Amino acid sequence: MYYYILEAPSNRAVRQTYQRLRDTLTNLGIAGEMVASSPARTPEELTVMGLEKGYSTIVAVGGDYHINQIATIVMNRAVLGIVPINASKQVTDLIGVTDIKAAAESLKFRRLTTVSTILVEPDLPIFLNAEIIPPKMAKISLVIDNRVRAFAYFNRAVINRSLEIEITSTHLTEAKKLFGLFEMGGNVITSESHFHGRSIRIVTDPELPLLVAGKPIAQAPVTLRLLPESLKVITRRGTVS
Amino acid sequence: MLKGTTANGETSGPGTTVGVNVALSGTLKDQNDIHIYGLIDGEVISERTVTVGKTAQVKGPVRGNIVTIAGVVRGSIDAAEKLELLDSAKIFGSISTKDLVIHSGAIFVGKCTMPSDFDESGEPVATDEEAVPVHVETTASESDTSEELASADTGEADLKPEEE
Repeated sequence: MYYYILEAPSNRAVRQTYQRLRDTLTNLGIAGEMVASSPARTPEELTVMGLEKGYSTIVAVGGDYHINQIATIVMNRAVLGIVPINASKQVTDLIGVTDIKAAAESLKFRRLTTVSTILVEPDLPIFLNAEIIPPKMAKISLVIDNRVRAFAYFNRAVINRSLEIEITSTHLTEAKKLFGLFEMGGNVITSESHFHGRSIRIVTDPELPLLVAGKPIAQAPVTLRLLPESLKVITRRGTVS
Repeated sequence: MLKGTTANGETSGPGTTVGVNVALSGTLKDQNDIHIYGLIDGEVISERTVTVGKTAQVKGPVRGNIVTIAGVVRGSIDAAEKLELLDSAKIFGSISTKDLVIHSGAIFVGKCTMPSDFDESGEPVATDEEAVPVHVETTASESDTSEELASADTGEADLKPEEE
């Protein structure tokens, strides 16, 4: 049976969505135990409780941060189900559904996809994309697999669960002055880099937070390590991960 | 997207792109395509395609199956299948490939080796291992070359954008 962990409802609409979800799950015959997180009971604590009760499938119902919190406890221990509510495209792309009805049907069919995750050393796993977004262009340096060292100025760095890092920057070149009066030129230069590895150390100048779903979870310098095929996720039939 | 590891320990994945404002040192090794637009000081190895863009400067050997150069390479190039030097390419080092295309305007200073089934007299050779060495001198003016050599001392400071 499934153990559903609902994100603390932020408004009436979400409460109504939860009620609809309950009805859908009951109709499909997969209504298990449902618990809602609160400041007193965090999603992590509820996940541990579910695992201790012997549930082998934990279903995260909510947005990105909530899903990530549950996934980090579930990995290598149970199967993760997801019902996305106000979740980002990366979540809906992974599970192959966008609405709660289709998500509930996926849970019933139970097609499992194994995905990798990353570990922020020493002991903080991440399931969803992590980002570093400096307020203005900053310097980043990477050491990839202790083999390659890279430096760049960047506006945004995104790290996904396969430990692929995308670094983007955009800046203007200085405009040339004609006869000291008229400004000419000033091109926008966009740079995009992609790296991947099994271990990446990231140092930023200044020190910047690593964000998941917009919330800081760690601070650079950090070392990230790939945890290959560490999480089983229920996805829609025909979804390519 | 499936990731794996080869016997040598390098990861396979979506490929690597070194952007225009990135400086990289060390051995860049990827099972998939490598695209370079920034500065590299070290070896570049791919089992597939290596593309060195117009803005790129590579100081070290480049090895790939199909290699296309539009930037500056100071080091040897080994392309198992095909090597193409575009009109903006500047190569200072030896090259080795079976299939070579040099566009008008490219600068190449070095030795070219093309593995062939024939020797210099046109007779078939016993094995495929032997190669016919060809020495090619650059047609570029002395000032062009010295200018390029002077610009080789690129460092981290070169990456700093002129204006944010």
